[in-house]
Formats: sequence, C-alpha cells, structure tokens
Amino acid sequence: MKRKVLRAILCISMAGMLLAGCGNNQSAPAATEPAEDANTEAEELGTDAQEGASTESTSNEGMMVYLVSKGFQHQYWQAVWQGAQEKAKELGVEVQMQGPDTESDIAQQVQMLNTAIQLQPDAIGLAALDVSALNDGIAQAQSAGIPIIGFDSGVPEAPEGAVYANAATDNYAAGALAAEETYKIIKDRILSTQGSVRIGVMNQDATAESIINRGLGFIDKMAELVIADGKTVSIVGNEKYVNDSQVTDKGEGGNVILDIAVPSKVEAALSSTDAQTLLNKEDILCIYGSNQFSGEGLVNGDANIGKLGKDVVGVAFDSGTVIKDAVKAGKLAGAVTQSPLDIGRKTVELAVKAAKGESVADVDTGCQWFTAENMEDPSIAPNLYD
Amino acid sequence: MEGLKNNPIVKAIGTQRLVAFIALIVIYLAFGLLNNKFFSYATIVNIFDASYYIGFMAIGITFVIATGGIDLSIGTVLSCSALMAGYLNVSKGLPIVPTILLCVAIGALFGLMNGWMVSKMKLPPFIATLGSMMLSKGLGAIVTMSQSVTWKSSTSEEGWYRNIFRINSQSGVIVPTGFILLIASAIVMAIVLNKTRPGRYILALGSNLEATRLSGVDVDKWQTLAYVFSGLFAGIAGVSYASIYQVILPGAGSGFEMDAIAGVVIGGTSMSGGNGTIAGTMIGVFIISVLKTGLPFIGLNTAWQQVATGLVLIIAVFIDVCNRRRKG
Amino acid sequence: MEGEKVGNVILKMKGIDKSFPGVHALKGVDLEIKKGEVHALMGENGAGKSTLMKVLTGIYSKDKGSILYEGREVAFTNPKEAQEAGISIVHQELNMMNHLSVAQNIFIGREMMNGKIINDGKMEEESRKLFQKLNIDIDPGEIMGNLTVGRQQMCEIAKAISRECKIIVFDEPTAALTETEIEGLFKIIRDLRKKQMGIVYISHRMDEIKKITDRVTIMRDGEYVATLITENSTKDDIIKGMVGRVIYEDPKEKSNVPTDAPVVLKVENLRAGKMVKDVSFELHKGEILGFSGLMGAGRTETARALFGADKKDGGNIYINGKKVEIKTTKDAVKAGIGYLSEDRKRYGLVVEKTVAQNSTMANLEAFSKGFFIDKGKEAKTALEYVKKLKTKTPGVDQLVVNLSGGNQQKVVIAKWLIRNCDILIFDEPTRGIDVGAKSEIYHLMSELAAQGKSIIMISSEMTEILRMSDRIIVMCEGRKTGEITIEEATQENIMYAATKRD
Repeated sequence: MKRKVLRAILCISMAGMLLAGCGNNQSAPAATEPAEDANTEAEELGTDAQEGASTESTSNEGMMVYLVSKGFQHQYWQAVWQGAQEKAKELGVEVQMQGPDTESDIAQQVQMLNTAIQLQPDAIGLAALDVSALNDGIAQAQSAGIPIIGFDSGVPEAPEGAVYANAATDNYAAGALAAEETYKIIKDRILSTQGSVRIGVMNQDATAESIINRGLGFIDKMAELVIADGKTVSIVGNEKYVNDSQVTDKGEGGNVILDIAVPSKVEAALSSTDAQTLLNKEDILCIYGSNQFSGEGLVNGDANIGKLGKDVVGVAFDSGTVIKDAVKAGKLAGAVTQSPLDIGRKTVELAVKAAKGESVADVDTGCQWFTAENMEDPSIAPNLYD
Repeated sequence: MEGLKNNPIVKAIGTQRLVAFIALIVIYLAFGLLNNKFFSYATIVNIFDASYYIGFMAIGITFVIATGGIDLSIGTVLSCSALMAGYLNVSKGLPIVPTILLCVAIGALFGLMNGWMVSKMKLPPFIATLGSMMLSKGLGAIVTMSQSVTWKSSTSEEGWYRNIFRINSQSGVIVPTGFILLIASAIVMAIVLNKTRPGRYILALGSNLEATRLSGVDVDKWQTLAYVFSGLFAGIAGVSYASIYQVILPGAGSGFEMDAIAGVVIGGTSMSGGNGTIAGTMIGVFIISVLKTGLPFIGLNTAWQQVATGLVLIIAVFIDVCNRRRKG
Repeated sequence: MEGEKVGNVILKMKGIDKSFPGVHALKGVDLEIKKGEVHALMGENGAGKSTLMKVLTGIYSKDKGSILYEGREVAFTNPKEAQEAGISIVHQELNMMNHLSVAQNIFIGREMMNGKIINDGKMEEESRKLFQKLNIDIDPGEIMGNLTVGRQQMCEIAKAISRECKIIVFDEPTAALTETEIEGLFKIIRDLRKKQMGIVYISHRMDEIKKITDRVTIMRDGEYVATLITENSTKDDIIKGMVGRVIYEDPKEKSNVPTDAPVVLKVENLRAGKMVKDVSFELHKGEILGFSGLMGAGRTETARALFGADKKDGGNIYINGKKVEIKTTKDAVKAGIGYLSEDRKRYGLVVEKTVAQNSTMANLEAFSKGFFIDKGKEAKTALEYVKKLKTKTPGVDQLVVNLSGGNQQKVVIAKWLIRNCDILIFDEPTRGIDVGAKSEIYHLMSELAAQGKSIIMISSEMTEILRMSDRIIVMCEGRKTGEITIEEATQENIMYAATKRD
C-alpha cells in the first residue's frame, strides 16, 4: 500500500518535472547518483590539492576559462589562442576565446564581455580595447565573483580589485625597446646630418591603449636618446600622440622630427598611403610601424618607392608573413615581437589559479628584438607566426 | 547623331562626366602643385594601386545600378572570396591558378545568388544584397576561423601572380600591369554595356522593367546577369586587392562598396537606373583614389578623403540636377 | 500573300476563362477576328478587355477555352512567342524605355547585330524608313524620354507595326493623341486593314469606334455580350450592351448659377513654366467651371500652379476679392482650395491606409490631442462623410486599396470637405471609374455645387464637360483660347478653341 502511494507520488512529481523542464531532464533521477559521486570525488581531490599543493592539473575538471581578445584577424591572436589551448589541455580545463571583427569594434567587444559574463565561466581573460567602455561589464563580473585576468596589453586603469592579475606585454617598454634598437642603427646618421632628419611613426589607430603605448614608448625613448646626444627633437602629426608624448616642442623645429601618422580607418590602402607620404618626404630617415597592420602598411607602401632598406630604415612590431619576409629581405632592419604563445599560456594559468582562489600576481610576458640574423634562434622562432 | 548630341539628357550626362573629369584634373594638379613629389612615377603607381579594387568593383556595380538596383555585398564579397581562395592556397596547398579562378568564381556565385534573389524571388535589391553582405562577411570569417589570410609573397614560388597587377622587377622597374588590366576591362565592359544585347537589355530593363518584359525580353535572365557581373568583378577586385596588399583581414571589405558606389555616381550614372557610363565610373574611381593618395601628401589626415569625396559627390550630382532643371 | 480573300477568320478565341485570386476576370469570352477588319472591343473599365488581350498575347495563361490562330490551337506562354507568331500589341500604358533612343526602343528584343555588336546605325536607318512609310516625323536617334506623350505613343505603334505581324491590338491608343495624330493613326490603321491584317481596337471613344471599326464585340463584367456590325448599330445599342441599361448622357441645358453669384476665385495672368501662359479666369460661388482642351493643353499645370504644387512665374490670385499669396500647397489648403489629382493613387490617397485615416489626412490638426490622434473623433467624422457621400465601404477601417475607383474618389472628396475647402479642383474626376459609378460622382459634384461649393473640373471627355459645366474654359498649348457659357457650348466650338494654335 505504502509503495503504491509512493509510486503514484513519484509518477506525479516526475510528470510535473517533465512539464516544468520541458522534458530536457528525462534522465534526471538516474543522473543524480553519479553526480553525487563526482562531487565527493571533486571534494576529495580538492582536499588532496590543498594538501599536496603541486597537483593542480587534476582538480580542474569542468572549469571553464573565457578569453575576450581584441580580435582574431591578426595571426598574432592565433598564436595567443594556440598558447592558451596548450595550457588548457595541460591543466585539463576548458577554454574559449572570442574577439571583435576589428580592433576598433569597441562596442562589439563590450557585447562579447557581457556574453562571457552570462555564461558564468570560472574566470575571464580580457584584452581591453577601451577600458572605459568596458567598465560596466568589468563591474558586473566583479559582483558575480568572476575573476578577470588581463592579457596582451591587459586592462590598464581597471577599477580597483576587478582585475586579479595581468599576463601582458608592457607595451610602453616594448616601444622603448624598438626605439633603443633603432637608435643604434640610425645614431651615426642623426649625429652627422646638418639639417633635420625625420622619423615616421605609423600607428593603426589612436584608440587602442596597447597601440598608443607602443607608439608613445617609441616616441619618448627616441626623444630621450636623441636629446642625450645633444640634438633637439620636435613632434608633428596625430594630435593624440603629439599631446600625450613627453616631447614638448611641437612642430617642425627639431634636429629630429618625429612624424606621427594614423589612418582614418583600419584599411590597408590608407595605411600604405601614410607610408608613401612619409617615404616621399625629403628628410625621412626611419619609419616605425607600431603593430602588424602598420608594419604591413609600411612594407606595402614602399613597394613602388623602394627606399626601405636603402635610404630609409624600416622597423616594425609583431610578425606575420609580410613582416618576416621584409626582415629577411633586409627591407626592415628589425622588429619587436611579443611572446603571444607565452601570453596565452600565462593567461590560462593565472585564470585557473585565480578561479581557485589562489593569489596571483602580474606577469610580464616580455618582448624581443629580432633581425634577419637571429630570426631562426630557438628563443625567438616560436614567437614568429606567419 | 546630331539630334543625340543636342539632346538635353545626353548633354546633362555629358556635363556631369565633364565636371567629374575636370575635377579629377584639378585635384591632381592641385596636389602636385602643393607637393611636387605627387607628380612622380611612383606616386602615380600608388594612385593606381589604390584604384584597382575599387575600380573593378565599380565596373561591376555600374551594371547593377543601371538596372535601377544596388549591390551592397560587393565589399564583403571581395574579402570573402579573397579569404576563402587564399586560405585554400596557403593552408591547403591549392595551386595559384585555380586559386585565382576560384576567387573570381566565388564572387560570381554570390552575384548569381543576388541576381536570383532579385529577379526570381523578387526581393528588393537593397534587402537581398544586404543579406548577402552579412552572409559573405560571416562565411569568410567562418572558413578562415576569423583569421587573416596572407596571400603568397612575391619571393615565393607562386608569387608571380602579383605581377598580374604590378611588376616590381629586381632592377627597380615598376610596371603597373593592373592599370592596363583595369582599363582593358573598362573598355570591354563599356562595349558590353552600350553595344551588345546583354548591355542593351540591362539598360532597357533599368529604364522600364515591365516594358522590356512586354517586348519579349527575358528580363529575369538579364537582371541576374547584371548581378553576376557585379559579383564577378568583386571577385576580380579580391584578386587585385590580395596581390597589392597581400593580407586580407576578415571584414576588411565592409565599406568598400560605398567607395565603389560613390565612384559610379560621381561618374554620372543615375541611381534610378536606365543609364550607365563605365568611362564616367572610371573617372569617379580615380577621383577617389587620387584623394586617398593625395591628402596625406599635403599633410591632411586620410579622414579628409571621405570629407572631400563626399563633397565632390554632392557637387557633381548637384550640378547635374541644376543642369536638368534648367533644361526643363 | 496567302489569304487575299477578305473575311477569312484568322483568330478565334472561344470560351476563354481566367480567374485571379478573388476575381473571376473572364467568364467564357468569345472573340473572332477576320483578316482585313478593324474589330472594336468595348466594355466598361474592368469588363475584361485588357485581360482578354493579355491572355491572347501570352502575358496571362488561360484557365479554360481555346485559341485558334490561323487554324491552329495555340497557347502562348510569353509575349515573345506571341510576337514571333505575328501578334503584336500596343499597350494602353506607355511601355517605353525612356532612357533609350527611339530606334533602340523600336528594335528592343530583336536588335540588328554586327556579329556580337549591336548595329545602332542600321536600326536608326530602318526606323527612319518605317517612319517615312507611316508619315511620322520623329528622329529615330532621339532619346524616348524627350518626346511628348503623343509622339511616344506613335513610336509604340510604329514598334508594333514594324514586326512581321498578322494581328495587331491597339489598347486605347488615342488617349494621349491630338486630333491630327489621331487622324494619322487612323490612316495607318486603314493601310494595315488593306494589307489584310486583323486589327483589334479597344477604345472608350464612341465616335472613333463608329469612324474606324467594322465590327464591335462588347463585354460586360468579364462576360461576352454580343458582336455587332458597326455600320448597323447605334451608339445607344453599344452603350446599352456595355452597361446593360441606357445611360443618360444629355448635356446640361443651362447654367445653374445665379447671375449675381459672387466671384470666389479670381486668377489674373497666371504664368508657370512652358505650359501656363497668361491664364486669367473667374470662378463663381456654386459654379462648376469646366476646363476643356486636348492632352497637354496645360490644364493640369494651371491647376497645379494655382494650388501651389508647382512654381509660379507670375500672376495674381484673389479669393473672395482678397489677394492671396499661394507659394506652397499648404497656403492653398489654408485658403480653402482642395485639389483632387487625376492620379488618385499617386497624389490623392494613401491606399494602404484606411478610409478614416485618408479622410482626415488634410486636416489632422483638428483630430489631434497634443501628439495623439483622436481615433474616436476621426472614425465618427469619417463615418459621417461615408454616409453623406454614399461611399460603398464595409467600414471606415477598410483599407482604401480595397475600394473601387469611384469610391476611392469619394474618399478624396471627403478629405477635402472635411478640410472645409470651398473651392475644389477636380482633375479628371472620372478617369478609371466605370460608367455606373461615374453618374454617382456627377450627382455628387452637382450636389456640392448646389450647396455653395465652387468647382473647377478638368476633363478630357467632351460629354463630361458638356454634361457638368456651367461655364467652360478651353485651353490650348498653355493659353486660354476660349470661354464659353454652357448655353452656347457645342462639341464643335469647344474643339475649335482647343485646337486654336498660335
């Protein structure tokens, strides 16, 4: 009798469940037990991990890390993605990555971050295009208790406590590295020239923090080095860069003129035109392209002019087939490469740690100067993507 | 013939083309006077480089605009076909000749789809091509997994394809082969538009679709053909873009269609259909590429290119409107 | 040529049935055309004449019935097949590619080629020959859009004739032609008849039918009524067949306007563009002032300039003795002038909106509370006018597109009445409206005049002018060439003024 009643109740409640859940949990009763087992298992393992400290890999079952990048279109991001996947596999976590169509689609990135938060991952990796636009999303993640790890150029000036750590290239320092290496090549010509010489700085845009920092790092360092050798520096071109740089002399008055170009939109033809304009100036000595897009624009713009590697020193940032070929052919004197693989790896590693409540600290993933000579070195080659 | 010359409409079209041509010369000379480097051979080649992809797209879309339609998809079809074909070449080892043919074929296929949607499904051209614009943008990104595709370098074994649009010899001699190709295509397509049956029917149906149908002309076929031309030339534009700029970013093409449309309209083709001038289109395209190349030369940001193009567009069409109004 | 004998039947359509969703357009219609005859096809608008011709020329497919052409059963699936078999049609609506040249239009679909290249020179040459033969003076190189409507119509006719055809259908070919052009056309038709061609002639103009045709087939509501020998039948016989009853079409005997009626509108030396040259006239209270003239006489242009729709070059307008400045249509409406365009669907109505919405459109301020439209008040007023004008509509929520032409016209009238317009300009008030509904519109206009509204009626139909007007202004080539009281008016003196050129 009792059994019959029980059975009836069970039937009714199951029917109710089916109705409520629209039938997508048909196997719910059966699934309970193993799930409970898994939970206990996880708990046990968790205790193990706390006790054993080093066995992090086994305790990450079901953990998901969601990366919101700045884009996908440059091969650079593919290398980051590759590094992230490697690390995720190693740690046994799931990783997803999304990025806007272009590196100026700030609104799209805001959407992507919001989506990421809705999916409730255990941690979010974020390479911000524009921090102020992302502030709401970041605050939401914070209140939902999802740790954010900054990567690539990170999330500079993020609200206090939201970003747990950064796995990032110090772009300002990377730009400075490019300036230092470039100065070694052009120092003699600067010092021996009577009139003025011009150094072009090509930037993809004046909105992405990482690009701005790479430009400014180069500009400031170059100015510092030139002034240290007793020459004067002035700056012209895009207002954002001109105003944010530490160079005080604005105009064409210096021994060395830093000429800043930014195209009106991210379009190959426009970047090429910028390069051509710079290359056509009488006093041009050197041009720096501060990311892959600008580096490619520099190489493409020179195609009909042919000054790079002869009268004009070309320097770029990041790699990709076009830039690698140009370095190999001597058109570009060299380029700074970040360590996208390392960025990907470190991001996932920091994210997993943060998700588990461990303390994490910033990691500088560093950058390297590469030339035709050292391109094949095992320490550099893996970071040079096609 | 004399009657044709004295005819107000013909004259009006002529004036706009004349105005556009004078504008082109004036703009070119003005840039040259402000910076004499602008007259250099290298700069001329640079102007050509910047005109190929817009130019090929514009030739194709002139046919669609002549039918009274519009093709918003050509920009993204350009990048989609260059991405897909380039991806198969670089990552899957497809030889370069089939790659180029495939690039053009993908463009033509999108054109066929647009034509079919407009002529058979009776979708408004704006909607149909807006749809395929999104479709092609998305498909391009999906096939390449949202990555950029870098076509082969000149130095690689298959790099000869870049000579189709520009020969940069070791000795430093530059031959803008693309210019020859562009002008040859323009001449051929101008003949097709004005002197052959397909062109005649495209103009006729753009002027009065129903009348053309009642004249026993298979209007669906010719309307479709206009869109196929448009897609086909977007595919050719894709090859030209790849050989000049080598790197194709997903979504790179969005907005290119507007440059092409602006070129067509500046050249004197009316958006309401029934007429079309390839020669005018070429003038319009070169105005845009001269502005694109020239403004940075005189120290203005490339954003001014859009301001200037917008002004030229409005002025050219306004002069035309005034002219028509005066004539009655 | 085969079949020199007059009277051989070349085409026999029997029991043709055609339905469209919701409309049974043709119900077993018969038509027989002989070689060397001009055969009129008559019927009210919507009787199915054009549909029958579209079935014949392959634009529509028939549901039932048979078409015997030269003794063979045929079923053309597109116009091209029909053309190739020798059946050409001159459509009622102008079917021209305005951007192409005359010669290019004439040879569209069968261009003369030089290999793959079109030989425009040869096509112009051939067109010139054709025009000479037809006695038409048009330059084949001219762009079609630059020709007057009448000349375009002549090109359309030339295009149809230029094909090797055995049957040629004229669907209201004279609507846009001047008297001389009509004479030219009739000459062409007589030539074609001599050449043993079968000619179908669709027209509403009774005098033309009497003048040019040999037999008349009458249709009504998609049904075949009768085929008559033109010579042996009277106008009344034909009209009776068309409408199923005798229509009262007597002209007005005398003006209904008292001689001391005040002048409500005075127009002095109105000038606008090429089509309005120094036009002056007065309109009295309660008067129906007819504007007669041929197509392109400048009547519509005068009305549009008066109404502020087109730019004026000069002239003064007085309303109730006070000078008014009418620069825009808004000024005109404010001054109490309402304009009922000849093309209701393009300029008079928003056909995808309801009767109520259309009725209040010109006076929406009166039906608004702040930003919102007072739907209740709108519906109430619209209903009031539906009743007043006897508009046949299931309700004021009905979309105007679903109403018949006559009832659509009533909605336009309601719109201007609701706006309190005292001066109404009717431009071709019964165009596209069938005979039955016509008399209702006439009745309504008379009633409005009797109530003290003043009406300007532009009409190309002589019977309409003579039946409705209290006074008639005749225009020709932009000038006023006659002002005739109804007592004096005859077809002859109106036509005399309408053709009084410089």
